[in-house]
Amino acid sequence: MKVQVKVWRQKNADDPGRFETYPVEGIIPEMSFLEMLDLMNEQLLKRGESPVEFDSDCREGICGTCGLVINGMAHGPKCACTTCELRMRDYQDGETITVEPFRAQGFPVIKDLVVDRSAFDRIISAGGYTSVNTGSAPDANVLLIPKDTAEKAMDAAVCIGCGACVAACPNASASLFVGAKISQFSLLPQGEAERKRRAVRMVEQMDREGFGNCSNHAECEAACPKSISIENIARMRREYMKGALTEA
Amino acid sequence: MSSNRIWQSTVGKKVVMAITGIGLMLFLVVHLAGNLLLFVPDGGVAFNKYGAALKDMGALLYVIRGGLLAFFLFHIVAAIQVYTSKKRARAGRYALETSKGGPSKLSVSSKSMIVTGVVLLIFVPLHVWMFGMNKGAPPPMVMIDGSEVKDIYTMVATSFNQLGIVVFYVGTMLFLGFHLRHGFWSALQSLGAMNPKWTPAIYAAGFVFALLLAGGFLLLPLYFFFFVDVPVAGTGGDM
Amino acid sequence: MIAKSPLLDAKIPDGPIQEKWANHKASIGLVNPANKRKYTIIVVGTGLAGGAAAATMGELGYNVLNFCIQDSPRRAHSVAAQGGINAAKNYQNDGDSVWRLFYDTVKGGDYRAREANVYRLAELSANIIDQSVAAGVPFAREYGGTLANRSFGGAQVSRTFYARGQTGQQLLLGAYSALMRQVDAGRVKLFARREMLDVVLVEGRARGIVCRNLATGEIETYAADAVCIATGGYSTVYFLSTNAVNCNATAAWRCYKKGALFANPCFTQIHPTCLPQAGEGQSKLTLMSESLRNDGRVWVPKKKGDKRPPQEIPEDERDYFLERKYPAFGNLAPRDISSRAAKEACDAGYGVGPTGFSVYLDFAEAIGRLGESVIRERYGNLFAMYHEITDENPFKQPMRIYPAPHYTMGGIWVDYNLMTTIPGLYALGEANFSDHGANRLGASALMQGLADGYFVIPATISDFLAEHRPDGLTTNHDAFTESVKAVQEQVKQLLGVNGSKTVREFHVELGRIMWEKVGMARNEPGLKEAISDIQALRDEYWKNVRVGGVNEDMNKSLEFAGRMADFLDLGELMAQDALERAESCGGHFREEYQTEDGEALREDDKFCHVTAWEYKGEGQAPEAHLEPLEFENVKLTQRSYK
Repeated sequence: MKVQVKVWRQKNADDPGRFETYPVEGIIPEMSFLEMLDLMNEQLLKRGESPVEFDSDCREGICGTCGLVINGMAHGPKCACTTCELRMRDYQDGETITVEPFRAQGFPVIKDLVVDRSAFDRIISAGGYTSVNTGSAPDANVLLIPKDTAEKAMDAAVCIGCGACVAACPNASASLFVGAKISQFSLLPQGEAERKRRAVRMVEQMDREGFGNCSNHAECEAACPKSISIENIARMRREYMKGALTEA
Repeated sequence: MSSNRIWQSTVGKKVVMAITGIGLMLFLVVHLAGNLLLFVPDGGVAFNKYGAALKDMGALLYVIRGGLLAFFLFHIVAAIQVYTSKKRARAGRYALETSKGGPSKLSVSSKSMIVTGVVLLIFVPLHVWMFGMNKGAPPPMVMIDGSEVKDIYTMVATSFNQLGIVVFYVGTMLFLGFHLRHGFWSALQSLGAMNPKWTPAIYAAGFVFALLLAGGFLLLPLYFFFFVDVPVAGTGGDM
Repeated sequence: MIAKSPLLDAKIPDGPIQEKWANHKASIGLVNPANKRKYTIIVVGTGLAGGAAAATMGELGYNVLNFCIQDSPRRAHSVAAQGGINAAKNYQNDGDSVWRLFYDTVKGGDYRAREANVYRLAELSANIIDQSVAAGVPFAREYGGTLANRSFGGAQVSRTFYARGQTGQQLLLGAYSALMRQVDAGRVKLFARREMLDVVLVEGRARGIVCRNLATGEIETYAADAVCIATGGYSTVYFLSTNAVNCNATAAWRCYKKGALFANPCFTQIHPTCLPQAGEGQSKLTLMSESLRNDGRVWVPKKKGDKRPPQEIPEDERDYFLERKYPAFGNLAPRDISSRAAKEACDAGYGVGPTGFSVYLDFAEAIGRLGESVIRERYGNLFAMYHEITDENPFKQPMRIYPAPHYTMGGIWVDYNLMTTIPGLYALGEANFSDHGANRLGASALMQGLADGYFVIPATISDFLAEHRPDGLTTNHDAFTESVKAVQEQVKQLLGVNGSKTVREFHVELGRIMWEKVGMARNEPGLKEAISDIQALRDEYWKNVRVGGVNEDMNKSLEFAGRMADFLDLGELMAQDALERAESCGGHFREEYQTEDGEALREDDKFCHVTAWEYKGEGQAPEAHLEPLEFENVKLTQRSYK
């Protein structure tokens, strides 16, 4: 199988960037999309050209490192799927595939398809935790948590922090990412003590990072590899307003 | 926490947009209900009475108008800020942008809120000038229940017999429909009043709401244009 | 009697095994709370061990510098662990205890782990669950709100806690959030996209690191009072493994080259239920939960090279080889045994699938017995994942599986305090060798990472720091300058070769040698061949590798090139260690040493010890040091799964 990869090349954050098209040959349909890019880079290296940089790590859809916009869709055409889980059998022989980095002010490009998502870490450090020092925890079964509540918290906690929500959002909003973390802790009794402060701080940090406003397009939910519901954005808004209206 | 901090936050801004949006939608419902009196086949008596009753509210009417204006302005300022923040946040454009479908609510109406909003923003002052301030086709006076009131029925009928005005109104109401189609559900989601169980129902309700309101407003000019001739001035009074 | 090397003082506390840890904590040196901020500690790695260690030491008040190669600490490969975490909570009232978990782990490790370390691990397991729940980890629960447990990996009690199939992710996010809290508090400074390329020694003591900023290529130096390495295992030496593509041995290997002894490198674990390789160009193998073996039956055709579709092969022409060889355990035989049996069948020409390197895992019988809905309920997500990757529907045809390298029990040698043979240098988690012996039990890796990070290192490090007060050392010291020079020299050398073969091509070749000759079954001639093959490959590497690009830029090819250089050295040491260990134990199976039934045959008289290797310089043979293992609490027995 053979495809043309029309891929974004950008030397660094200051470079305006441009598209280049590379033919890739010798693809087998079982290959993952990233293995096809590996192959492309091998072929580029052999020709003495510089490989296209892209991030990836676990290649099984859990670490959240990979993330490309493929033919206009974050993580490619399938719902509930990361870029690394995408297979070449979903593409046609001879097809031209457009590959771009996640584009958002909050995710500046480092090089080619690699972006800086450290804004997410800073948002988590603004309250995405419970303040419990190691060693001070009570016995785990002291806290009874109904199964449904635990499941709901887990539905939000499955976020892999890949940033596809931001990439897919027409406004480059990080609300699904932030909403998922705020939801997890607001559902669980462990998060109760810092509930209001957390919601306010995390939302304000999100705003400082330059992400856009959520206009409820829900494209993030479609792009989310873990299918996290925008219900969590609704919950984030309730939590924020509760916090903002009652905190000093 | 200061109200300015809430207003400055992305979440707070959307809450303001939602509250003002819901306020404006309620106004539209009342407005349409009033307008439906135009369909009453009594030569405009009911509608003119309604107009007169509104006038009789006196100071209260000005309070309501002031409130409406404030809602409108807040809605616009917030909308512009949301739009500029979006422009900043997504400075680099994608060469290709495709919706994945599935749970996505991305649609023509969701993507064009700023466009439909601007059209409404242009429409509203013209509409107020034409019908609210009676500058389009100044209404004659008419006697109803022994007092002299403005024959706004005739004013409306006269205006809606002009092709240009009908086209303008009908066109604008299509934009209103698109605005409400996303706005209705978006407002509730912005207020956090959503859970996955209700979402499909409310999203569908948004469609029905948009269809009814825009449809209602849209039928009026067509009705007058096709079915009602310009009445002789002053006939909308007591028979 | 195995002679103990004077280099290897394990510093195991005195007293009965149940009291060792408590006594030790009561007697070790402490640092005054007000003085802690004057100490700087470097932690390399942000997985369960590194992340938890950095967070906890930050909480204690130390000034922590935390490094990771990923763009965020939350991406460390601990995130990929699926199954669960063991803890001796005995919530199920099924007779579990610290003792039983300790015993199972020592036995599971085929008696090649240190008793005292394992006991401490079992002891701390319960605290880990408490800590993680307090951090908001949404473990699976019963309707009554209590925590749910399951039995895992053939354990006879239900002691495994889990969060769907994403336990590693949830535990890692728990540690990550604790870490980010300390970042918020200013006690931990985070350095993402940094690869440690050297440990800097001053007067024989670890005083800092040299690392490459992977975004800019800049070579950076950091000084500290102690350095902790928590950089994971080295399964990627096989090229194809279940590990993430960036997992590597470089940090550990550079410590080894600076004098830290590397213990039991040949102890590697091959996981039996992975998706088979689909063809050339594959970059990694995907693990399927071992739980599938509860209902799936493993078989190959009785006829060699039988290319018929599985449905057309009649029952009497199938060889259910695990059930045939191990009637008592059948398809649930331990990981190493199942893996070896599958490889044997394929090597003998009975393998199935396009490459001939896979065996069937058939659910037809279970679906017939329990109905499709029950199977869907139990394994629905796994079946979907399999379907997605292979385009084959496991409800309609058997899955195809094949073993894959998964975990490495060997690693940097550490004493009871987790300190390496270099003073002030510690190794935690999979990077060290300490707790799993020759084979790791399911759901024990997460336990060890968190025990080391949350509880062991924060307690033991003060013993060293109390004796070594801050002295104002900065990175201006000559030792840093020299180290930077050496690192730059290697980078220059790699970029300068400009040959014709890519790093990946070398890695694939090394992987093939390792898999064939230092994989599941090893023998003397094969290991000797492996050593000479690797040496030849190494020579070729330094003459013919093509890296491309420059140092002063993001350059992943260069990153991989440096890692590859270390894999070549490590691969040889693994082969040498496997050659030296003339016995079979756990994941290390020497074909010459097996029982009549093909079982691993330990040679306790000669090999009940840890082999720790000392680097002797470029081109020099490393020296083996032995730490005898004394079993005072557990009686050594031969494993039998018949």
